[in-house]
Amino acid sequence: MTIRRQLARIFALVRAIRLERELGDEVCAHLELAEHDAIARGLDPAEARRDALRRFGGIEQMKEAHRDDRSVRWIENLIKDVRYGLASLRREPVFAIVAIAVLALGIGANTAVFSIVDAVLLKPLPFPNPERIVRMWESTPTGVNSTTALNFVELRRPLHTFDAFSAEVDVNATAEIGGEPVRLQGRRVSANHFDVFGVAPMLGRTFAREEDQPGAANVLIISHAAWQQRFGGDPRILERDVRLDGVPFRIIGVMPPGALDRDRRRPRMAFVSFWKPLALTTEQLEAGSHFLNPVGRLKPGVSIDAAQLDMLAARAAIADLIPQWKKDWSVKVEPFDAVLIDGTLRRSLYVALGAVVLVLLIACANLANLLLARGAARQKEIALRSALGASRGRLIAQLLTESLVLGLLGGLAGVALAAALMRAAVPLLPVAIPFTATIALDVRVLVFATMVALVVSALVGLLPALRLSSASAAEALNHGSRGSSGRHDGIRRSIVGAEVAVSIVLICGSVLLFKSLMRLQQVDTGVRAPNVVTASVDIGRDKYPTADDAIAFYARLIERVEAIPGVESASVAGDVPLEGTGGENLRTPATGDTRLLVRFKRADPGYFRTIGLEIVKGRGFTRADRVGSAYVTLINEALAKDLNATFGMTDPVGQVVDLPAIGFNSSTVRRPMQIIGIVKNERVQSDLRADVLGIAYVPIAQAPMLWTKLAVRTQLDTDAIVPSVRAALREVDDRVALADVRTVEQLRELSLSGMKEPAWLIGIFAALSALLAALGLYGVVSHSVSQQQREIGIRMALGARSGEVLSMIVRKVLTTIAAGLVIGLGGAFALTRVTQSLLFEVSALDPFAFAAAAIVMSVVGVTAAIIPATRATRVDPTTALRSE
Amino acid sequence: MSNIDMSKAKPDLPYGTLDLLVLKTLDTMGALHGYSIARRIEQMAERSEERRNSGTLRLSQGSIYPALMRLEQQGWISTKWGVSETNRKVKFYSLTRAGAKQLHVEVANWEQAAALVARILDAKA
Repeated sequence: MTIRRQLARIFALVRAIRLERELGDEVCAHLELAEHDAIARGLDPAEARRDALRRFGGIEQMKEAHRDDRSVRWIENLIKDVRYGLASLRREPVFAIVAIAVLALGIGANTAVFSIVDAVLLKPLPFPNPERIVRMWESTPTGVNSTTALNFVELRRPLHTFDAFSAEVDVNATAEIGGEPVRLQGRRVSANHFDVFGVAPMLGRTFAREEDQPGAANVLIISHAAWQQRFGGDPRILERDVRLDGVPFRIIGVMPPGALDRDRRRPRMAFVSFWKPLALTTEQLEAGSHFLNPVGRLKPGVSIDAAQLDMLAARAAIADLIPQWKKDWSVKVEPFDAVLIDGTLRRSLYVALGAVVLVLLIACANLANLLLARGAARQKEIALRSALGASRGRLIAQLLTESLVLGLLGGLAGVALAAALMRAAVPLLPVAIPFTATIALDVRVLVFATMVALVVSALVGLLPALRLSSASAAEALNHGSRGSSGRHDGIRRSIVGAEVAVSIVLICGSVLLFKSLMRLQQVDTGVRAPNVVTASVDIGRDKYPTADDAIAFYARLIERVEAIPGVESASVAGDVPLEGTGGENLRTPATGDTRLLVRFKRADPGYFRTIGLEIVKGRGFTRADRVGSAYVTLINEALAKDLNATFGMTDPVGQVVDLPAIGFNSSTVRRPMQIIGIVKNERVQSDLRADVLGIAYVPIAQAPMLWTKLAVRTQLDTDAIVPSVRAALREVDDRVALADVRTVEQLRELSLSGMKEPAWLIGIFAALSALLAALGLYGVVSHSVSQQQREIGIRMALGARSGEVLSMIVRKVLTTIAAGLVIGLGGAFALTRVTQSLLFEVSALDPFAFAAAAIVMSVVGVTAAIIPATRATRVDPTTALRSE
Repeated sequence: MSNIDMSKAKPDLPYGTLDLLVLKTLDTMGALHGYSIARRIEQMAERSEERRNSGTLRLSQGSIYPALMRLEQQGWISTKWGVSETNRKVKFYSLTRAGAKQLHVEVANWEQAAALVARILDAKA
C-alpha cells in the first residue's frame, strides 16, 4: 500500500461521518438513475426499483467493504468500542465505581511498591559509571572491619587498577552561624574523594592534591543543602569563612544537590553539611585504630576480581607491617552497591513486591468475576449482536475494549493513589533504604503502571470475553437468566477459591512477620527507661584543650541538668544504647597474645542509674575514678561469660585485664585495668536479632572525649524536659549545641526499622486481599442465590425450613473455601524458604500462623456468604415464584 | 429471484481487474458518475457475451464504489460534484495525470500476465 493511500486512510478516520454520508448519497443517486433507466426500458416503477436493487447487489456488504478499505478499520472500531465501553460504564455507575476502585487499589499499591523496588534495586546508583565504584574492607575471621591509617596509606600506593582511592570518616562539628551554635554532620575525606564518585563542584573547586597533607590550610567544601539551609544560598559563599569548633575554615566549594550529601547512617532527612580534608597525623598512622572507610573508583574495564587481586598484592607487600595477631586478616573489594543493598533489604523488597502482585491478582480475579456476572446479564445483548452478523472476533474485541477502558481508568486512579501513598510513606521509610535511592513517580514508574493496567485489562477481560462470545445465540435468547444455577457458576467459584488461596498465603505471611516483630519488640535491650532522653553534646578542643577541662565540663553539665526539677539523674557517656559503639581488643596480662574483641564504651558514674542497668556484682564508677587514679573497668554479664570461655576467668571481679587507655592529647596506650564490677547486659548494636555482645565500660573521666552523649532520666514528659536541658547546657557553655535529641523509646523504634515496615506492609496487603476475597465470595453467593430464587421458592413452598436452605447454600460455599484453604496452605508451605530468612525466632512453619490464617479466612468467607444467603431464605416463596 | 441464484454460476472478476476496467473506462469516456461507469462496464461485458456466446463475469454495480474510493485515495482519479440526469447531486470521477500513467502500467502488466497465462495454457493443451 502506498504512503499516499495510508495517509488517506488515516485522514479518513477523522472524516468518517462525512464519508459515510457521501457514500449513502451516491448509493441513492445510483439507484435513482438505475430505476430511471429501467422505466425507460419499459418496466413499471415497482419492477424498476427491484431491478435496480438487484443489479446493485448487497448495499450493506458493499458499504462494509467500502469502510474496511476506506480507513484503518481496527482503529475506527476501537474508537467505537471505547465510546461504547464508556457509555456502558455510565449506565452502571455503581459497577463502574467498584471496578475502578478495586483496580485502582491493586494498580496503585503495585506502582508505589515498584517505585521503591526500582529506586533501590533496579536503577543504577546516581553517579557516573557507578559500576566502577567499590568499597574496600579489611576482612577478619568473623566479619569485616574498617582499615587503619597506616594500611590505607600503604595499600593505596602500589594500586594500579584504581583511578582514585580515597578514605572517609564521619565527623561532627559545631559551627557558629548567626550567633547560634549548630551541630553539623560532615566527613573528613581524602583530597581525591570526589573523583571516586565522579561528582564535580557546583561552585568553586574540590580539594587540591596537597590539601589533605598535614599542615595544609584549613579549607572546607559544603553541601548544597548546607549552603541553602545554613547560609541562605549566599552567592558570595566562596568568600566566606566558617568556624568549626572554633577553628576558621575557608569555604572553597559547594557540591551540587544529590545523593552524595545524604547521610548514610541516620534517618533520611539528615544530610552531610561539609567535607574537610583528611590529613592523617603521625599519631594516627602509629595508633593502628581501624577507623577509615576506603572507597575507590576502578579504571575502565577493570573487573572486581582484578581489583581484588591488585588489593591482595598490595596487602602482601606490607605483610611485615601487620601485627602478628592480625595475620589471619585480609582485604576485600566489594561493589559499592552491594554494600548499600544487603540481602535482607533485597529479600524484603522482593517479598513486598510479590505480595502486592498477589493483591493485584485477587483484584483482577474479582473484577473478572464481576464482569462474568455482568456478562451473564448481558448475554441477550451479545447474542443479538452475534445474530445481527457481528463475528466472534469482533465481539471479543468489543468486550476486551470494554475491559481496557476499565483497566486504563483504574490505572489512572491507581497512579493518583500511588502518588498519595508515596507522599505519605516516603518520609517514613526506614534508614535501611540506601541513601542513593530517590523514590519518585518518574517515567519508569509510569511506564510500569501503564503496563500493569494493560496486563490487568487483558487478564480481566479475556476470560469473560471468551466465555460470552462463545455462547450460542439461540440458547441465550431462549433461556435468558432462567435455570437453577448459572452456567458461569463453576468458573466463578474456582476464581473465588483461588482468591481464598492467595489470601491465605498473605495472611499466613503477615501473621509470621507480626509474630516475628513481636519477638523483636520483646528483646531485652537492658535499658529500662520509659522516659529517658538522649542527645549529642560536642565540645571543641579550642575551649577545652585539656582532659581536666573536658571532665570539668561534664561535671558542670551533670550538676546543672540534675538541678532541673523533675530530672532524676543525668549522665555523660560515649554512646547511647542501640546506636553502636567502638570495638577494642581485650587481653589479660597472664595469657599473652590471645585477644578478645569487646565493645568499648565510656560512661560516667550516673550512666547505669540513668539508663536503668543494675550493677549485679562489685561497685560502679565514682567521681574518684578519673585521670590520674588507678584504671578501672566495669564489664557486662556477656563479657563475664566470654572471659570465662576465652581465658578461663571464673570470678572476674578484682581481676586485671589489658585495655587501651585512650589519651585526650596523647596517644593511646594499653594499660592494665581492674575489673571492679559486673552490670546487666545492655544492647549496644541496633540489630536486635544479633547476639548480645560483651562490653567493657571505662570511666569517661579516665578517657575523656569531645563528642559525648547526654542521657537524662526524668519523671516528667520527655518533650517537656528538653527546653530546660537546652537552657542548662547554654548556662554551662553557650557555644555548644544540643543535637540528635531522641528518647530511648525512639532509639528502640529506629532499631526496628527495616523489620517493622515489611510486617505492616504485608499485613495491610493481607487484610486487603482477605477483604477482596470476601467481596468475591459475597458476589458469587448473592449472584447464585438470585439465580436460584425459583428453586429456593419451590423448596420453601414445599416445606423446607429456612435453616435447611441456608445450610444448602453455605455447604456449597464451604466447599469453595475449603478448596482455597488447602491450596493456600500448600502455597504458604511452599514459600517457607522465602519467608524464613525474614523471620526472627519464629519458624516459617509456625502452626499458629497457619491455623490463624485458616480460621480468619474461613470466618471472613462464611460471613461473606451468609449475608446474601440469609436474605434469600427470608424471601416469601410466592414472591420468589412470581418474579419469574 | 432466479436471477440472483443464476449469478452465482458466473465467476467473479479476478482481483484488481475492476480497478483496471474503471481506469480504462474513464480514459475512454472522460468524467462520469458512478452509475455511468458501472453501466458502461456492464454494457461492454454484455457485448462480449453476445459475441462469444458464453458466460461472462459477474459484476454487482455497487462493487465499483469501493474501487472508486481506492483509486481516489491513490490519487489516480479525482472527483467533482455535479448534477445527474435525475437532477440529483452526484460525484463525477475523472482520470488524473497520475491515473493515466498508472493505466499504462496496469495495461502493460495485464497484457504481460495474460500472455504468460495463455502461453502456459497452450503448452498444456
